[in-house]
Amino acid sequence: MNASALVLATVQVITMIVLSPLLVGLMRQVRARLEGRAGSGILQPWRDLRKLFAKEPVQADGTSWVMSAGPVVLVASSLLVCVLVPLVGTATFPLIPDDLFVMVSVLLLGTVALALVGLDSGSAFGGMGSSRHMTIAALVEPTVLVSVYALSIPVGSSALSAIVKGRLEDPASVAAPVSLLALVALFVAVVAETGRMPVDNPSTHLELTMIHEAMILESSGRDLAWLELGSWIRLGALLGLVGSLLAPWGIASSMTVTTVFVGLVALVAKLIALGSALAAGEVFLAKIRLFRVPELLAGSFVLAFLAVAASYLVVGG
Amino acid sequence: MAILVLLPLIGALLLAAATALTRAHVLRRFSAIATSAVVLAAGLGLSVAVLHGSPVTAGGLLRVDALSAFMLSVVGAVGLTATWGGLAARDVVPPDWTYSALICLFLGAMSLAVLADNLGVLWVAVEATTVATAFLVGHNRTRGSLEAAWKYVVLGSVGVAVAFLGLVLVYAASVAAGRPTLSWVALTSSHLALDPSLVKVAGALAVLGFATKAGLAPMHSWLPDAHSQAPAPVSGLMSGVLLSVAFYAILRIQAVVNPVLGTGLMRGLLVATGLLSLAVAAALIVRQRDLKRMLAYSSIEHMGLLALAAAVGGTVAIAAALLHVLGHGLAKSSLFVVSGRILVTEGTTQLARIRGLLVRHPAEAVPYLVGMAAMLGLPPFTLFFTEVAIMLAGFQHGLGWAMTLAAALMLILFAGLARPSIAMTFGAESSEPVAAASTARQGPRTPLALALGVTAVLGFTAGPLPTLLTRAATLLTGTK
Amino acid sequence: MSANLYDQLVGVSAGVLLMTSVLLVWRRSLVAAVRLLAIQGVALACLVAMIGIFDHDVQLVAVSVLVLALKGVALPLVLDRSLVRTGTLREETPLINTTASLLAVSALTMLAYLVSQPLRALRPGPTTAAVPVGICLVLFGFLLLSTRRHAISQLVGFLVLDNGIAAVAFLTSGGVPFVVELGASLDVLLVVLILRVFTARMTVKFGAADLDELKELRD
Repeated sequence: MNASALVLATVQVITMIVLSPLLVGLMRQVRARLEGRAGSGILQPWRDLRKLFAKEPVQADGTSWVMSAGPVVLVASSLLVCVLVPLVGTATFPLIPDDLFVMVSVLLLGTVALALVGLDSGSAFGGMGSSRHMTIAALVEPTVLVSVYALSIPVGSSALSAIVKGRLEDPASVAAPVSLLALVALFVAVVAETGRMPVDNPSTHLELTMIHEAMILESSGRDLAWLELGSWIRLGALLGLVGSLLAPWGIASSMTVTTVFVGLVALVAKLIALGSALAAGEVFLAKIRLFRVPELLAGSFVLAFLAVAASYLVVGG
Repeated sequence: MAILVLLPLIGALLLAAATALTRAHVLRRFSAIATSAVVLAAGLGLSVAVLHGSPVTAGGLLRVDALSAFMLSVVGAVGLTATWGGLAARDVVPPDWTYSALICLFLGAMSLAVLADNLGVLWVAVEATTVATAFLVGHNRTRGSLEAAWKYVVLGSVGVAVAFLGLVLVYAASVAAGRPTLSWVALTSSHLALDPSLVKVAGALAVLGFATKAGLAPMHSWLPDAHSQAPAPVSGLMSGVLLSVAFYAILRIQAVVNPVLGTGLMRGLLVATGLLSLAVAAALIVRQRDLKRMLAYSSIEHMGLLALAAAVGGTVAIAAALLHVLGHGLAKSSLFVVSGRILVTEGTTQLARIRGLLVRHPAEAVPYLVGMAAMLGLPPFTLFFTEVAIMLAGFQHGLGWAMTLAAALMLILFAGLARPSIAMTFGAESSEPVAAASTARQGPRTPLALALGVTAVLGFTAGPLPTLLTRAATLLTGTK
Repeated sequence: MSANLYDQLVGVSAGVLLMTSVLLVWRRSLVAAVRLLAIQGVALACLVAMIGIFDHDVQLVAVSVLVLALKGVALPLVLDRSLVRTGTLREETPLINTTASLLAVSALTMLAYLVSQPLRALRPGPTTAAVPVGICLVLFGFLLLSTRRHAISQLVGFLVLDNGIAAVAFLTSGGVPFVVELGASLDVLLVVLILRVFTARMTVKFGAADLDELKELRD
């Protein structure tokens, strides 16, 4: 089991590193085409990364080692999430639990690292972005926990691979209203966590409306490259999680070449579908005002909570 | 016999329809009085029938036992007092046809409520009274009456909806027990094994819901507003008998719940809400500046007392409570009718601005004083005897502490009511010269004299009334 | 209709009832509130129809048509007309903000599940398993009644309360006797019509249908 888990982890990590910038490029391209622009092509994020990696980071006076360590921590946490979430297959390490709570904690690690980077330079915009980011993180975490927990109740275990395996074996549970409710709540939480519309506009240039962009304003060169790559891998991993839960078919339960290949193809398909849908939605949605964000997240929390309550009812009643 | 049961309902409907369609002056003036007379006649007839024979049924939904017959008579008597007393002078324009038609429908709905055997029909009738009185409360079209009417309809409907939930659960319990029914007779028979936990929730909800309609605290906030803003005869009807009809519903529910759960739940609920009502009334009566609002708080006091009587249980307490319902109804409606006349002559119902009534308008002051004496529970009026009986029964059944507390609160209420009344009637006018006593008639004196006279005499009657009351009380307390 | 299909359909209707009431607490637009109320009425009618079809009870199917006509069509229409007259189309600031209301919704859901234990133990089955949804609707109705300031919002809260009670009635015992059902529906319709007239009068007298204006009668 250990060897196959190691292989799977490597496959997932490498795939996500390669695919995430392409995913972001696809989303930007879809958005551009829908808005009537030509767009800069799917490969543009990779070109940006290549440019940034070649440059030396310039750090403001008064910044500390956090400025250079933070981005690395973010990337590391995102890659660890790729290992934990069953994107291509469901093999797990016996000593590294792919528990729901572990995943959320790792995500939080990355969130905090990014917030500290924003604070480190001492600029007003960075601090503003960090505080908004942490507010949203505090509201999103309960929703992510409760919604995935709702999906774990029929299975009886909060290990992500067990949840996905359970849904794979019981197709009826995928279409159950309870699971749809939980997935809607999870989707809203993912949108908030990764800074997409309507919570945050990733292509804004107005500093006062920025949340994610404000934190990376002062970073440059390699630091910025790590930060961008880390955020994109996070987005890819979380969308992959939603895809695995929503449509678990194609995920490899046993580790052979064919099943892994099928899993990879399925993952690519799911990411394309979800990414395009998200991008298309962004064209039609306006960013909501910051003080309305807690309303939105409270609403998604209530949906997740109702899903938990209802699934206890279905199991118990 | 069945025709007597249907008579008040048909009469009310016909008179209301006739008033609405023809809008004749005669009907507009007299249809409400006629409906009350019909209801009273039917009530008295049915009381005689029930005393000499067995309960009368009509259709599967209506059933008249001793309690229903008595309550129907109360509705008729108080209705007659309020509508006849509120009769305007011959040269005044008769009231609007909507006003008269709605009062007829109001009386019909109350009759349906007391005649119903099916608890669901009882509920529909109580809700119908809210619907009928909504526009009556808002009749004056002032800002205050609109506010009062809104609160009345919303709070009343919400309370009654909660009662409906309770009834739904009672029905579910009967379904589970094997015989789906909402008939009171069937539910109180010992053959139906109702699930206790379900009946507990159902009973509590139903009682709380009907307590809202009865003006018991803490669901009483609509009462002072609604009863003070409505026209005087309507206030008399609402205070005098609508609250009592809601109390009657509570008694019926209690009779369903007690055989299943024992008296604990109902007693606890009713003692709590009764004492709270007395406390609220006592606390707020001293702050009252408006005559009709003061009378409304007095109604809350008496409903609290009735709740305590129901909590005590037992034949004596329940019979006393029923007699109290009659005495309170007659006295309160007389008081409200007089307050209406005071409003006409004085132009205001603010207590501070009315002085020296006994000298200037003895035709108003005398009925007011007599009615207030009855309301305060002074002998020889009925309320004295019923209050004493309830207290004694309370001490006998282990609720002595509650009775002591109630007595203390009623003392405060006595002072709170007596002081402004004395000031209004005997208080000397400060600077203006004393005008000659006005002999202009503001309305018929007969109904007031009759009502107050009956209240004075009832405590001493023998004959059919005590038998009727005892039989009604036995119906509720014992399922033998 | 197979038992499994019945299970799922009852679950879906109950789910729609719950979702519409959560959205009613969430959204502040009054126009959306009236539409959600209409959807809720239709869902309730479908629920009743399904129970009737499964139990082969023709009367219940007839009642479902009545429910559809009243709660799905008539009442939302009355509210819509009334809304146009009042002039404000959004509830400005409820007494507690939206986030607090939504958290209160979660707490009330838990309360509803606790309270409905004796009911579910009475007759275990798919219909009684959905009873907590009815109790939820009752509690959400109370929440709306006590925390909203616009007259129409209070009306909507009252109707949600009524829908919840009707849902509990149909789920626990297949409804109440037909006469009572008819009387209850008529009463609700009349109450809504009366309150509509009062709302119109209020707009004329006070200038807005804001219940905060009603504070003249007080001790």
